[in-house]
Amino acid sequence: MAKKNTFARRTPTDIGLHVWGIIVFIYLFLPIAVIIAYSFNNGKVLANFQDFGLDAYISGINNDVIISSVVTSLQAAVGTAVVATIFGTLGGVALARARKGAWWALGLTVLLGLTLVTPEIVDGISFLPWFVTVGVDWGVTPLNNGLVRLIVSHAMFSMAIVTFIVRARLAGIDTRLEDAAADLGATPWNRFKDIILPIAAPGIFAGALMSFTVSLDNTILSSFVQQPGYTPWPVYIFAAVRVALRPEVAAISTLMFLLTLLALAFVAFVLRRTGGSSTEIIKTMAR
Amino acid sequence: MERRPDVRFLAPRTAAARLSRRAVLAGFGVVGLGALSACGRTTKMAASPAVDGELESKLNLYTWGDYDNPELIDAFRNQNDVLVQVDAYGSNEELIAKLATSRGTSGYDVVVPTGSNIPQMLEHKLLQELDLELIPNFTHMDPNFTHQYFDPENRYSICKAWGTTGYVYNTTKISREMTSWQDFIDAAQDEAAGTTSLLEDPWEVSAIALASLGYSLNTEDEEELEEARSIILEQVAPNTKAYIGNVATGMIQGSFTLLQAFNGDARQGMSEVADPENWKFVFPTPTANLWMDNWTIATGAPHPDAAHAFINHMISPDTAIEQLDYIGYPIGIKGLQEQAQQADLSLPELIFPTQEVLDRLEASKKTPADQIRTDIFADAQARSGA
Amino acid sequence: MRTQTTPGDSPATTGNASAERGSKADRGSRSDRFATRVFGPAAMSFPTWAYILFFFIAPVALVVFYSFGYKPDEFTAVATDQLTLERYPEAMSGAFVSTFFATLRISVLGTILCLLIALPFAYWLAIKVSPARRSLALALVMVPFWTNFLVRTLGWQIMLSPDGFLSNWMQGLGLLDAPLDILYTRTAVQIGVVYNYLPLMILPLFVAIDASGHKLREASYDLGAGKVTTFLKVTLPMALPGVVSGCLLVFIPLNGDYVTATVLGGASGSMIGQLIANQFNTAQNWALGAAMAMILILATLAVVGIGFALLWLGQRIAGRLNSVQLTDGRV
Repeated sequence: MAKKNTFARRTPTDIGLHVWGIIVFIYLFLPIAVIIAYSFNNGKVLANFQDFGLDAYISGINNDVIISSVVTSLQAAVGTAVVATIFGTLGGVALARARKGAWWALGLTVLLGLTLVTPEIVDGISFLPWFVTVGVDWGVTPLNNGLVRLIVSHAMFSMAIVTFIVRARLAGIDTRLEDAAADLGATPWNRFKDIILPIAAPGIFAGALMSFTVSLDNTILSSFVQQPGYTPWPVYIFAAVRVALRPEVAAISTLMFLLTLLALAFVAFVLRRTGGSSTEIIKTMAR
Repeated sequence: MERRPDVRFLAPRTAAARLSRRAVLAGFGVVGLGALSACGRTTKMAASPAVDGELESKLNLYTWGDYDNPELIDAFRNQNDVLVQVDAYGSNEELIAKLATSRGTSGYDVVVPTGSNIPQMLEHKLLQELDLELIPNFTHMDPNFTHQYFDPENRYSICKAWGTTGYVYNTTKISREMTSWQDFIDAAQDEAAGTTSLLEDPWEVSAIALASLGYSLNTEDEEELEEARSIILEQVAPNTKAYIGNVATGMIQGSFTLLQAFNGDARQGMSEVADPENWKFVFPTPTANLWMDNWTIATGAPHPDAAHAFINHMISPDTAIEQLDYIGYPIGIKGLQEQAQQADLSLPELIFPTQEVLDRLEASKKTPADQIRTDIFADAQARSGA
Repeated sequence: MRTQTTPGDSPATTGNASAERGSKADRGSRSDRFATRVFGPAAMSFPTWAYILFFFIAPVALVVFYSFGYKPDEFTAVATDQLTLERYPEAMSGAFVSTFFATLRISVLGTILCLLIALPFAYWLAIKVSPARRSLALALVMVPFWTNFLVRTLGWQIMLSPDGFLSNWMQGLGLLDAPLDILYTRTAVQIGVVYNYLPLMILPLFVAIDASGHKLREASYDLGAGKVTTFLKVTLPMALPGVVSGCLLVFIPLNGDYVTATVLGGASGSMIGQLIANQFNTAQNWALGAAMAMILILATLAVVGIGFALLWLGQRIAGRLNSVQLTDGRV
């Protein structure tokens, strides 16, 4: 139904935009397609396609080191998305509603900016001794867990991204909406829950996606904070580059890719339902 | 470029108050966090439990990525019922930073540093002594790879794999016979201008020039290094297309004609390219690096018995050929070359240089002049690939 | 404290509502006022503040401290018993400055390319894609990035190789008469960095354009504005926070990155982050590495500051032009 509408109003600009959208998607998926194709390489070195086969899949799945690192990475990425999204959303909402020139807003923006500007290696060098000091010397034992360390450090790394996206989302929003709700007797919690969150939702969702992605890719920081048994997937790959990547890496990447697509389909299904209702809320409020 | 002499090493070293990195970390706790640090901080390394002849149920191995045949690890697990967790690092420095900052609480048992880093690690007490009685397979080690300068008695380390540096070139583009590092420098300016690659390693890059000049590859002499700098910057760097860690990839891509290479990687590359007959590897004169990665046990290792048993398992002559085939480098035990011949391994001459070549190699060392090498490397990178 | 410091009174646009709500809050109970304070922006930012202070500032302060130290001997990465500023001029010598400007060129060009690619794409995503599919499309933007970056970059490497399949195909089809010569050039670096940072530009842009709302655009059409005018006068200004966010999110990390550039650019991709990592890793000179990192941070902030200044200037000029046009139109 929506389709019909767009078809009816299609102008040259629209067609151009659609073509552009498709070109960008091709650009984004091109290297992935190459990796998927090369995962069926029975040779010893990924980059050199010898003959077609499933050897890489078989030996990849049977390699405990690879499997445990993939699991570690996925756990850390989910954890990071949760932590960074909670803290980042609070930060983003706060910044969007800050009085102009409030010291805490300026300070927070600068600090978050600094987390982005700081080279990753500096974070890595500084994090490990800090975790040892806090976790071992001060006895904050949860910080001695490898997964917690990964999540805490990755969340620091992606918090700025979530915050800025959420703030950007709320920047153009009329605050009178909230004031009106307050006049109608809505409690602050209700105002937050029923107005801010639905409006910010796409930003929060985008932020969660970003922090998940950033965590899944983080290499340098992870390699410093990892604990025995918690080598994340990128660190494994980065370390294996020294000996030329084997096709197993592509095979497992392909499997992960398919899995994430499935997970995504599920999320999309859920979001379509909740997303619909949140749009309703916005519409009701806007009226 | 005008460069001021590097005088950092002449800086006064007040022995009295000099702080180790660990002490500095502890100090930071005191300075920065006042009251909290009052409740007693220790800079001592956590101790490892004593060896008691009972294998623990777990073992944490921290090593280079993809550096052991997974089947061998599985076999060890099945035979001894020890759960082996393998984690990977990409550089010695990563390993050292890890062990030093966690002060014996890293949880790792077996770690695999390169020989040149072992003196530094011993200085910081990051490694604990091996009990060679628990590693009976040590008797199978080739004397060429025991009793190295970094550990003359093998009290802390046993060779895990070794290799040397040389270069590989495409004979369709470079027709003359190449034998020395001087040939490498000449070809880089001639046939291979713009299609040369160097290793992504400051020590190895300056070694090209130092070797061609006939100096020690580990020289700390600033004038010698200055000469090497000008050769690298003026003759080699402008003709260099890329600095790549693994030459096999570079050879497959087909954009290079001359590549500085570790021997095992070159062998891997030659068994992958479509035209191996057009490639040639050289053990260049007068000398090159002899590097060695080593089995060691980290201070504070929670599972020392399993660690010894694991090292013993991994250097067993029975499985050496499987390990060699997987990682592409010999593991330093006697008779491996014969085994390789029997197993019909391809291109054995690339990973088993003759005794004559072995005798002229020079193992890399860490020296205060590494700072100069890093500077040379940075300048070279900035000057390449215009 | 007066209840004036409550959520809504922040922006200047509040007007009457603020006063009314103020009186409402005055009438509120104690718990109400407490809740108001807890949900006030300042209090709400507290967890984020605390997190960043404890897990970023505290550990990183240590590295800042290192930058005033020195490397005492080959076995020790840093000592700080004598503090000195000497590492800073030392860091600026050698290849640092020229490499920094090379890096700056890559990152500025990369940011601009990302913006040019992402702006129409995000516009399309936010406005032309049906709402039902929008979140799916958005997620699809992220999916390629769930494959590890080294693997992705290797995908590019395979594709751009002179002996690779793309090169062979193009030669076979007669599109090229010599092997593809992109790998290990600046072009390859630009392709790679734009690729790796594109989603960081698309997301904030999408979010901002989406937030600008269809109503305003429709109102603009109703008032007789054309498509171009609506885009320039309504959509683009509303998307500006997203443009700023996106540029920051791309430019800043790109300036410190080096892995993509090394893998695809070979020697042409030498970037400043590499120099710093070399000091920490290979040379084991943490004092010098820390000083270089500090200089990089400050220089990046300076560039961002200049960017903001230009933006502000641009807005003022645009604003003046706009008002001129508007009065013209009215008269």
